[in-house]
Amino acid sequence: MEISAIRLEALKEIGNIGSGHAATSLSNMLQTRIDMSVPKVWLVPLERMSEALGEMDATRVALYLKVEGEASGKALFVLPIESAEQIARNLLWMEETPDVFGDEMAQSALREVGNILVSSFVIALTQFSGILLQPSVPALAVDMIGAMIDAVLIEDGRVDDNVLIIDTKLSGVDVMEGKFLFIPDEGSLDKIFGVFGI
Amino acid sequence: MSTTLLVGMADYKVGRTPDILMTAGLGSCIGICVYDLHTQIGSMGHIMLPSSRDNMKGNAAKYADTCLEIMLQELTRLGGNRLRLQAKMAGGAQMFSFNGKTPLLKIGERNAEAVQQELKKAKIPLLSYDVGGTHGRTINFDIKTGNLHIKTINHGEKVI
Repeated sequence: MEISAIRLEALKEIGNIGSGHAATSLSNMLQTRIDMSVPKVWLVPLERMSEALGEMDATRVALYLKVEGEASGKALFVLPIESAEQIARNLLWMEETPDVFGDEMAQSALREVGNILVSSFVIALTQFSGILLQPSVPALAVDMIGAMIDAVLIEDGRVDDNVLIIDTKLSGVDVMEGKFLFIPDEGSLDKIFGVFGI
Repeated sequence: MSTTLLVGMADYKVGRTPDILMTAGLGSCIGICVYDLHTQIGSMGHIMLPSSRDNMKGNAAKYADTCLEIMLQELTRLGGNRLRLQAKMAGGAQMFSFNGKTPLLKIGERNAEAVQQELKKAKIPLLSYDVGGTHGRTINFDIKTGNLHIKTINHGEKVI
């Protein structure tokens, strides 16, 4: 998979629109203003994943959804533990910060956040391109970031040499920083670019 | 001085005592160590898929069969004795489940089986392993002792 500069620029634009939608939905959910931006879209070779993601054994919360349809792929939203716990706390109006490792309510609230985030991206892309996509039920894990990502990458028994990463930055709640990864299935990116004629 | 050689995804490294070989955050992938204690030389590979047959492209270290092949070549080229080689492995977990259901294709399990098969074919004894489960692992291999140190987040630490 190789992507020209113009195609990366287009993906960044799609990312921006998607994150705008996602920020609006999150703001409504959390009853506070959340801003979300896409500072970077990049295609990362497998061997250099740690440069993109930092310490591969850092503990993170990952929300994983499969996106089915005409441009299918896998979406992964990765959050630091503190951010995830704070979001869950705000959502559930909890007095104390929940423990995301064991608190099922918190995990379920975060799954809902994953659902909304990914749906927002997907809806943006559909409105933009007419490509119909449907996200699955979200799965959640709390573990080493590298471990969760490799499991998603190879789940279907094949793997590309590069992964598309859309860096997102959320602001409005303290220490919120997330990474959104989209791993397109074979042919999906061409489909998207085809719609835009690039 | 001892150096820690970091092995990335679909990557492999070869080192000598007192080097430490390390892979951080293994999920369904397999970290395989092959070493010769006598010549104090060792190698670690980060294998992602069972076989290169269906989709050989890109990095050879990505697949169980081709990764082991290049590791053996490098080890013998650098003075390791093929007949003295031993192996240990870790990884092959299942990190996600959807509504309690695990995917049909248990890739972690298949990876572990494939590595075992390839070692058997190459007649290299697999001395110990720590595979499966639903958690990630960070592994450090000490070429001097042949100890494989395994760290997890909520499942303790062990040396195999």
